[in-house]
Amino acid sequence: MQQKNLSIMHPRPSSIVAALYTLRDLNVEVAILHGPPGCSFKHARLLEEDGIRVVTTALDENGFVFGGHDRLVDMLQKVEERFSPKRIGVVGTCVSMIIGEELHEAVMEANLDAPVIEVEVHAGYNDNTKGVLFALESALDVGIIDRQEFERQQHLLSEATNVEKKYGAASKEYLEPSRGDVKYTVAKRVIEMLKAGKKGICILNAKKETAYMFADITVALQEVAKKLGVEDNIVNFANLDTGLGLPRVRQHAEHILADMHDNVKIDEIIGGLDEYPIAGQQVRQLIESNYRDFDFAVIAGVPHAIPMEALEGMELISITNGPRQVHPLKDMGHEHVLVEIDLHPKTLGVTNIVESEFGATLRQLAREE
Amino acid sequence: MNPQKRIAIYGKGGIGKSSTASNVAAACADEGYNVMIIGCDPKSDSSITLLGGKRIPTILDLLREGMEIEKEDDVVFEGYKGVKCVEVGGPEPGIGCAGRGIIVAIQKLKKISESMKKMDLIIYDVPGDIVCGGFVAPIRKGLVNEAYVLTSGEYMPLYAANNICKGLSRINTKLSGVICNSRSVSREEEIVSKFANEIGSELVAFIPKEQIVQDCERDGYSVLEKAGDTDIAEVYRSLARNIMASDCAVDPRALTDERLRELTR
Repeated sequence: MQQKNLSIMHPRPSSIVAALYTLRDLNVEVAILHGPPGCSFKHARLLEEDGIRVVTTALDENGFVFGGHDRLVDMLQKVEERFSPKRIGVVGTCVSMIIGEELHEAVMEANLDAPVIEVEVHAGYNDNTKGVLFALESALDVGIIDRQEFERQQHLLSEATNVEKKYGAASKEYLEPSRGDVKYTVAKRVIEMLKAGKKGICILNAKKETAYMFADITVALQEVAKKLGVEDNIVNFANLDTGLGLPRVRQHAEHILADMHDNVKIDEIIGGLDEYPIAGQQVRQLIESNYRDFDFAVIAGVPHAIPMEALEGMELISITNGPRQVHPLKDMGHEHVLVEIDLHPKTLGVTNIVESEFGATLRQLAREE
Repeated sequence: MNPQKRIAIYGKGGIGKSSTASNVAAACADEGYNVMIIGCDPKSDSSITLLGGKRIPTILDLLREGMEIEKEDDVVFEGYKGVKCVEVGGPEPGIGCAGRGIIVAIQKLKKISESMKKMDLIIYDVPGDIVCGGFVAPIRKGLVNEAYVLTSGEYMPLYAANNICKGLSRINTKLSGVICNSRSVSREEEIVSKFANEIGSELVAFIPKEQIVQDCERDGYSVLEKAGDTDIAEVYRSLARNIMASDCAVDPRALTDERLRELTR
C-alpha cells in the first residue's frame, strides 16, 4: 500500500478534458459529454476549432435525481442522424459518474453503426493523464488502436506524469502563476550571444499541436542567425519524428517540417511529438557525444523534461506556455524563462507554423540591428 | 468445471439477507466449493459471522486513509473454511455518497483480485434498498449474473420483493429463485410460494424461524459452524445445493399492487 499524493492547491488540468483531447487525437468526429451543460465548456468550444464536434446531454437537476440514461440514448441517436459521424466518443463527467450512469448500457441500447469509444471518467483524478489512459483503453477495446501503440502511450503517460510531479506544475503544493521574463530583454541577450560568436542549441521539445507555435522559435532563431551570418553556430533539435504516434500527431510533425521547408534544417530528430516526456534522454546523449562545447540552449515546449545534467555549463533560455511552469524552471536553474501566453488556443485547427511572441521579438530586434 | 456462479441476494432491509448469505457461503464451503462473499452494505456486517465475530478493514476504510490498494491481501480475508471475505464499507451515515463508494470499491476489487476468477461462487450481499445508481454497481459492471429475492410472508417484505422484481427487469438481471425467511406468520409458506409462482419463479427454500440462528449470530458464528447438526443447518445446506445446481433463471413479472394485496389476505 502506498500513501497518497501531495495535495495541490492550484487548479489542475481536468481528466475529462484530457479524455476529449485524446478522442480528437483518435479522429473521433463527435464527442458526447454525458453531464451538465456547462461541464468543460471552454475546452469543448476550443476543440470545435480543431475539427471535433462536442455535444452535451445537458443533465439538469432532474437528470441528477432521476438519471440520464434516456437522454444519452437519445443524444447518441440524434448525433448519428444529424452528423453521421464515422467515429463517436462518449465521455463521463463528475455528476454522471457519481450517480452511477452506465455509458455502455446506453451505447448498446442506441445500437449505432459507427464505433463508439466510451470513456468513464470524472475530473477527480490527481493526474489528468488518467483521462487519456481511459480513452486509450476504450479505443483498444473497440480496436481503434493496437496493443503495441497502447503500451507505448501508457509508458509515455506515466513518464509525463513523473515529469510533472518532479519538475512541473504538480511539483509543489502551491505555485504562483507568472508571465516570466520580458521577451525584449531576453531576445536582446540572444542576439548579443549570437553576435559574440557563441554557439547555441535550439531544442524543440513540444507536446503535440503546441509545436505549431513553439516551432516558430526554431524558425526565428534560424532567420536571425542567418541575418547575422552565424547560422553555422546553431544546431536544431526537434521532436518531429513523422513515424511515431497516432496518425493525427504524425501529421502535425509532417505539417511543421513542410512549413520549415528549406529555411530550417533540423539536425537531430529527438522523438515524436508525443515523446516530449522521454526525448530528454536522447538530448542528453546527443549533447554528451557531439555538442558538449555549446554555450547556450534555447528550449521551447516542455523544457523541464530535459535533464539539467545534459545542459551543464550552458546559458538556458526556455519558453513554456504554462504560467505555473515559470517558478519550477527558475528553481531548476534555467536563467531566462518566457511564457507564450494563450498558446494552445492559437494552435488548434491550424496546419502551419503560427507566429510566437518571442519569435516576433527576435525578428524585430534583428531588423533593428 | 461448472461456470462460476455470481449471485446477489435482494430483499427488504432487516429481512435476513446477511444471515442467509453467510450461512449459504459456509454451507458451500463445507461442500468444498471456493466461495467469496462481498458485503456491499455500508454497515459492513456481511462477513462477520464467518470471521468469528471479528470485523475486517473495508475497501473504503483503506481508500479513506489515502492508501493505494495494490494487492488483494489488503482487502480479502479468509474466514470459515477458507471463504474469502470482502467488505466494501462506506462513509459515515449522512455524509458523502455511499453509492459512489460501492462503484469505486467494486472497480478496485475487480482490478486487484486474482482469486475472484477462481471462485465457484461469489455472493454479493447488497443493501436492502437500492436507493441510487451505485447500489446496482455489481450488476451493472457485469459482476452478478443471477439474483435471488429474500422475503417473509408479511406484506411489506413481499411488497419490497415485488418492487425488486421490477428493478431486476430494468437492469436485465434474471431471477433464480425466491427464498422465504420465515417470521412465523400465518400461511407463510403458501403465500410466498404462490408469489414466487406468479412472478414466474419458484420458492427455493423455506427457512423456519429458529432461535438457534440468532444465538449463533450473537456469538459471531454461522449456524453451519456452531450448530452444524441442527435441522436449520440442513435447510441452509439444501439451499446451498439448490443454488449451486440452479440453471433456470427467469425474467420476473412483477405483480400489480392489487394482486399482491389479494395474495396476502
